This record gives sequence, structure tokens and C-alpha cells, in this order.
Amino acid sequence: MTKVPGRARVLVVDDEMHLRLYIAAVFETAGYETATARDGEEGFHKAFEWKPDLVSLDLMMPNQGGIRLFQRLKADGELKKAGVLVVSAIGGEAFRHSLSLVRSGMLSNDGGPLPDVDGYVEKPPSPEALLQEAARILEAKGATAQGALTQNIDAEH
Amino acid sequence: MSEPQHILLVDDEDGIRKVLGLTLADRGFTVHAAENAEKGLALFRELKPTIVITDIKMPGMDGLELLRTIKAEAQGDHGHDAEVILITGHGDIDLAIQGIKLDATDFVTKPISDDALDIALRRASERLNMRRAIREHTQELERLVEQKTRQLLAAERLAAIGQTVAGLSHAIKNMASGLEGSIFLLGKGLEMDRRAYLEQGWEMLQANVEKIKNLSLEMLRYAKPEALKPTLCDPALPAREVTELLQLKAKAAGVELSLSQPPDMAPVRLDAEALHRCLMNLVGNALDACQAAGFGPDAPGGQVRLAVEPVPGGGVRYSVSDNGCGLDAEAKSRLFTAFFSTKGEGGSGLGLMTTKKIVEEHGGTIAVTSEKGSGTAFDVVIPGQGELNV
Repeated sequence: MTKVPGRARVLVVDDEMHLRLYIAAVFETAGYETATARDGEEGFHKAFEWKPDLVSLDLMMPNQGGIRLFQRLKADGELKKAGVLVVSAIGGEAFRHSLSLVRSGMLSNDGGPLPDVDGYVEKPPSPEALLQEAARILEAKGATAQGALTQNIDAEH
Repeated sequence: MSEPQHILLVDDEDGIRKVLGLTLADRGFTVHAAENAEKGLALFRELKPTIVITDIKMPGMDGLELLRTIKAEAQGDHGHDAEVILITGHGDIDLAIQGIKLDATDFVTKPISDDALDIALRRASERLNMRRAIREHTQELERLVEQKTRQLLAAERLAAIGQTVAGLSHAIKNMASGLEGSIFLLGKGLEMDRRAYLEQGWEMLQANVEKIKNLSLEMLRYAKPEALKPTLCDPALPAREVTELLQLKAKAAGVELSLSQPPDMAPVRLDAEALHRCLMNLVGNALDACQAAGFGPDAPGGQVRLAVEPVPGGGVRYSVSDNGCGLDAEAKSRLFTAFFSTKGEGGSGLGLMTTKKIVEEHGGTIAVTSEKGSGTAFDVVIPGQGELNV
């Protein structure tokens, strides 16, 4: 897999096949490169091999859930550079509350506290919310936010 | 008091009956007199007076026996209670005390003074009022309890529906995401002329519409249970229908679906349509369990057996068994609760709960035996109705 220069990579991790297809298609049609994974374990391996710029992450998944994957990504010297966008059925308020509980009780592997997730979209995610949140995260990270993306959003509105 | 109270006066002495009778009539009572306890009891049963005044010492049945009989009969279902005032001779204080122990209202000593009589009558009327008040209060309490119980049941039902919705939120959000996704893919497919997006979007739309349809219909059934319409019918009928309907699905899943039914089963009183739904659920689950165990079109060997047989007393037993994936202890214990499903996205968690409800509304029972990895068997017994055995 060779990285096309200028195209940001999004790894979509969700146990629901339809959501994987949908979210991947949203990023794909906006000009991103995409890959998908079904759970935290698969997600970590794909991330390790493929080095995404952004991971779109479902929290409640069988086998290895999203929080554990988030923790593993942040513990990896290379992978922690990737932005993490949580896409979850848990409502915004409840999400932030449980996340702060989880973070307060959990340290990243280098001993520091677990950082906050970079962005959050509640299910059902709208294409606009996904793209805007992704662009914001990538811009903040200084990564090349996809040029085609902004054009695409402009074209749709 | 609006209408005159009836008093039964029992005394073997002519003179007392006459004088006391006049005194009581003078106070506005309607008086019925009897010269012995036997006649008095007959009059009491016939006229149901609210107050009885009786002498204690009489030939034959005495006043205490009359008192005891009246109080004992008042305990019965159609018993009528009354205030009983005893007339005692001078020095009969022991008898009077016995009388009070037997729940006599009061006693008056011969010769009867107007004052003593008035006190006894007033006490009788107070006790009558008190008893009426207690009776009314009890009835009011019973009415309140019934009303509150009804409200409680309604509240519980509402809570159950609320819980239903909360429990389903994850499934609903996933379905909504599926719909969003279908629209997005179909839109992009059209816009970019990409057949792959169109096909994915179309498949996604179909799958999610099907999920939403099934879930909403089942919730409707759960929220508004239709009253059962039991009729005398062939109990094997729903089993035959279900076997026929699911035969194709079974074949496609590499499962052999068989039905065994004895010839000429006696009719059973049941709601065949509701039982059809139950068996659909059970057989459908059994097919899913075979699939989960790895049986399929290329890996035949799955077996689902549906058996119908009579049970003593004019009822019917349906058994559905499979050699599928089986259930662990935890799944078994939560099987009949709302929104518990072993099928992940595939199950609403309402099927078995609805099945149990229908079976129980028939007065029947449902039981499950299962081992993880070696199949599951459900046993539904619908009892016969007494009238069919006569």
C-alpha cells in the first residue's frame, strides 16, 4: 500500500458492517484514502501496518472495544500521532461523562494520563458532521487536511 | 333514623312481651314478638331485625343459645348480624357476663327500667352505626386498593415500554445510521455514476427497512397485546403451517426441518394464530442456532424437529429441538427477558418474551433444556380446558 502524497488516510473501525461501509464511503468520496476494521484487535493491526492519519472509532464492539484500541494507539510512539474521532451510539453528555471516568482511572503506557479523544460524532452520523470533525482534527494536527474535502463540502451546500 | 328499626322481642312471659312491646313501639320501633327462642330464631331469619331483645331463661332453647346461634350465623356468607340485648332476672349476673362474652350488646335486669332500656338501645344503635361505618370504610379501602393496583399495573406497563425504548436505543441508532448510510451511498452512486455504491446502498436500505419493520411490528404487538381469541381447533395446524413456511429457509441453511404429529389429534381450545407466532419464533431460533453452529448449505447435518403430541387432560405439547449452538447458563437464565438476544444485531430480544406471554395467557408453560454446543429443546404445554373432558 503506497501512500498517495497529499491524501490523508482514514481507518474506519466499527463492528457493524453497514456503518463501516457508510463511513468509509463518506471519506472515500471526499477524497480520503480509507481502510476498515471490525474490532479493536483488527483495528490495531491495520493501524500498525497502514499508519492512518485519522482513526474513526466505534466504542462498543465485541472482542476488543474502542476504548482499549484508543489506549493502545496512544501508547504507541508512532501511532499516537493519528487523530481519533469517536463515532458512538452513546449520547454526547453520557459519552463525555463516561470518558472522563475512564480517563481518570487509566494511564497511558508511558505513565502519563490518557489524552482526550480528538473528536466525537454521535450515531447516526451525518456525512457533514463526519467530514467537518475529521477536517478540524487533521488541521489541528497539522496534517494535510484533504483539499478535495473542502471543495466537496462547498459543492454540497 | 329515617325508617323504623325492627326489633325482635323474645320472652316466654306474656306480660313482659306486652309491656316491653308497647314501650318499644312507643320509641318508634317496629316490634315482632316470639314466646320462645325457636320461634324467635325463625322470625329472626325471616325478618332480619337489627336489634334482638331476649330473655335468658326460657324453656327449650335459652337466650344464650339464641345469642350464640345468631352470632355464629353472622359469620357465614349470607349471615345477618344484629345487636342482641339480654334480659336477666335478679342475681343472674353470671349468665349476663357469659352473654357479654358471646358479644351481647348489653343486658337489662328485670324489672326493666326505662333508663336501663334506653341505655341498652342507645348502645345498640351506636354499635350498629359503627359497624356500618366500618363496612363502608372497608369497601372504600377495597375500592381504593383496586384502583391503585390498576394504576400501578398501568405505570408498570408504561415503565416497561420506557425500558423497551431505552434498551433499544443502540439498535435504533444503528438502524438510523444504516438508513443515513443507504441514502448517502445511493446519492453518491447516482451523482458519481458508481454502480458499486448503488448496489451497496440498495442492499443496506433493504436490510435496514426489514429490521425496522420487524422491530416496530413486534413492539406494537408488545405494547398493545391483542386479546387471545381461542377456538376449538386442530392443535397440529400451526405446527404444519410453520413447518411449511420455514421449509425453504431450512433447506437454504442446510438444515433438515421435520414435523411429527400423531394422526387424528383431538381438538384443543387455543388461539391458533398466536401459537403460530410462538412456533415461528421457536423454529426460527432453532434454525439460527444451527447456522451459528456452523451448519450451512455446504455443511449439511443441522436438524430441527418440531413435534406435536397430546397431553393428559386434553391439552397439547409442542417441542422444538435442534442440534445447533446451544445456550450457556447465563443466556438460559435471561432468555425470556425483554431485549436479551444471543443474536447480536440479528435479534430484537422480544421474540421469546412474546412467546412466553402468549403461552402463559393460554394457562400454559414453556421450558427450555440446553447445553452450550449440543443443541436446545423448547417444550410448550397448553393445558386442556375442563369442559372438554366432560
